[in-house]
Amino acid sequence: MSENAMVIRMEVNGVEHRLHVSTGDTLLDLLRDKLDLKGVKRGCSAGQCGSCTVIMNGKAVNACLVPAVRANGKRIATVEGLEGQNGLHPLQKAFVANGAVQCGFCTSGMLMSAKALLDADSNPDRKKITESLSGNLCRCSGYKKIIDAVEGASKNDMTPVQSMTSDQ
Amino acid sequence: MKQTFKVVGRGYPRHEAEDKVRGKAVYTDDLEFSRMVYGAILRSPYPRAKVVEIDASEARKLPGVMGILLPGDVPQKPYNCSGNPPSPLAIQDERILTDHPLHVGDRVAAVVATSPRLCEEALSLISVQYEPLTPVLDLEQATGEDSPVLHPEIGPSNIFNKIEADQGDVEKGFKASDLVLEDVFETSGIFHTCMETVACICDFSGGKDLVVWSNSQTPFQERRILSKLVGLPESRVRIIKPMMGGGFGSRQQLHNQVVGALLSRLVRRSVKIVNTREEEMVGTCVRHASKCRVKVGVSKEGLIQAFQAEVHHNCGAYATHSPIVMAAQSRKVPYRVPHYQYEGYCVYTDYPVAGAMRGYGNPQLSFAREVLVDRAARKLNMDPVEFRMKNRILPGDTVPGSPLVLQSCAVKECIEAGEAIRNRIDRNEERNFEGRRDDVVERWGMALAMHTSGASNNTGMSSAAILIHDDGSATLLTGSADMGQGSETALSQIAAEVLGISLSDVRVTAADTRHTPYETGSFASSQAYVAGHAVNAAAMDVIDQTRGALAIRYGVEAGPIVFENRRFKFEHGETSLSFKEAVSEVHFGETGTVITGRASFKARHSAPHSPPAGPKWLLTGSPTVLRFAM
Repeated sequence: MSENAMVIRMEVNGVEHRLHVSTGDTLLDLLRDKLDLKGVKRGCSAGQCGSCTVIMNGKAVNACLVPAVRANGKRIATVEGLEGQNGLHPLQKAFVANGAVQCGFCTSGMLMSAKALLDADSNPDRKKITESLSGNLCRCSGYKKIIDAVEGASKNDMTPVQSMTSDQ
Repeated sequence: MKQTFKVVGRGYPRHEAEDKVRGKAVYTDDLEFSRMVYGAILRSPYPRAKVVEIDASEARKLPGVMGILLPGDVPQKPYNCSGNPPSPLAIQDERILTDHPLHVGDRVAAVVATSPRLCEEALSLISVQYEPLTPVLDLEQATGEDSPVLHPEIGPSNIFNKIEADQGDVEKGFKASDLVLEDVFETSGIFHTCMETVACICDFSGGKDLVVWSNSQTPFQERRILSKLVGLPESRVRIIKPMMGGGFGSRQQLHNQVVGALLSRLVRRSVKIVNTREEEMVGTCVRHASKCRVKVGVSKEGLIQAFQAEVHHNCGAYATHSPIVMAAQSRKVPYRVPHYQYEGYCVYTDYPVAGAMRGYGNPQLSFAREVLVDRAARKLNMDPVEFRMKNRILPGDTVPGSPLVLQSCAVKECIEAGEAIRNRIDRNEERNFEGRRDDVVERWGMALAMHTSGASNNTGMSSAAILIHDDGSATLLTGSADMGQGSETALSQIAAEVLGISLSDVRVTAADTRHTPYETGSFASSQAYVAGHAVNAAAMDVIDQTRGALAIRYGVEAGPIVFENRRFKFEHGETSLSFKEAVSEVHFGETGTVITGRASFKARHSAPHSPPAGPKWLLTGSPTVLRFAM
């Protein structure tokens, strides 16, 4: 097995990490296995389902498609960093309140796609919300409530979207 | 009598929702144990083959590889993996590891190593010499005369089971009909695609007790099958269902737990096996592909006289649920049909294994039947909606092909609600007619299907125990597996309602076969009904016991003590106690006693329909248009 280990630095949920990575490691491997951020879900490992969506330098990405080395020097936000010191993020509250959580396996990814959207556009219409979540599959088929939740959250006082604080 | 509920009927957020939005809910693959290692399964790349030779010597040399199991290393007694109570229909034809793979993805060998990546590498180093055999992939081929027989040990042909249901005399019914239509429809196999793949962690490291964490809809059935395979009493096999990322029927069976258990026994460490998405698609289960020959006879007044269905099911390589799926399919006709005949055939092929999936046989035949019913209505120049209204089954009728009497059915309300939406949309579009484009073709269509909440063969059974703590809060123990539908919250609501305490006073432990009481399993949209009845009865038992304990505590007769409006009241005197006050009275002191309620519930019927004018959040039976092209 080829190790070819190298060291990368990345900031995850506001905390700086130095990590040894091997060829073949993905960002998803690092987050789940090395940083124990199990809220990032592994659904397909092929960029098809969106369960592992995290925010990298402001953009929603499928962590399973990002080679670990490409995360070098990047700022990553995962679902674990969404909650602020004042409690749940408005998106999290809206998901709970709207019944947008069923089996929950898509939830982390949905939340991060939604957050990336609201960070870029605090008042998106439903069409834009739907488009932004189109890479995130919910097999319980609870899309309507998820879109309701994102729309609801965007109507609350969402500015500024809370900065990531450490949970480490 | 109108009942007013305090906790039931209100839309609480489900109790685990906050953990889920925080990313803190623990699914099987999120669990890690000290010294845990990983397992992986070598799956056949051929739909049908004979294993001539396996050489695992290179894989064994790989540092970090701890063990390898080949077909010769595991018991070869056939079993049935489906999560059903014991039944002669659960045909035992599957092996833990096989040297005669019958589908792409069939289990041939297994490795255990210190990392998932090493497992992958080890699998690639196992050299298997296969002799590929001509695969039998579809129904035509499998039922043809020259087809190879895939399971000669089960029977002389690939048709391994036939299920029949009938009433009246269909030939008579067709003769009495003015219009007879017949056609053949094929449906394809589709895949559940739970967001979470099949995962298990098996700890058999002591060799005496087996503990399994797995995404299971039917943990108690899986425990029974597993305990036989590993030769342990059920008390020594514990299946724990962590948070679960969907089921839809696909978790109503054992998957990799047997291999995981044997790997764990081999290396004396806990072993985690998580399916890749590709493995999930070839190596778990699909909905039965089918070929439905359907025939309907109708009088010129538009009344169905006879309905006949002959359905062949592509069951894939192993029987698992198949005959039971057909039995369920045979009794879901939503019309009054004087003459009905159903013949279902289970057919082995080298296609992926067909198992339980939402609707359990209903969608295939409903699709064929509804297309034909629509054609019949059009031939008679009748509105397809009106045709269905006219023929629909009514409470009091016997469900065609079964002895079951339909006790409730709100299909009229459902159709009327759908019609109201259609009329509203059509009206609005007429108003906006000028803006419409000519190239948009619009059609309305409808289909009618009937399904039960609860298995239609009365297999639903559940039980519950409620531990009352000294402050009157409660722990509910239920075998019911929540796979994301929210049953744990619903069942807690029932307990809180009956005990007269708040929902936050109830905590639930569910689907852990060592610590929660037996339950048939989570399927057929039945948990609120089947497990709900058990919880209700267990909570009533708590109330009865509390009444008895109060009587002893106060030296009075228990009979006159009543529990009304969330308070215990005595025959004389002003004293009345809330549940919590009563518990603290009876728990401590000289007559101290611990209140623990229990009950078992066996479903004799499926659940009645939801009231049409029910609460807004009750979506079942309430049609809505989510999206349509404009």
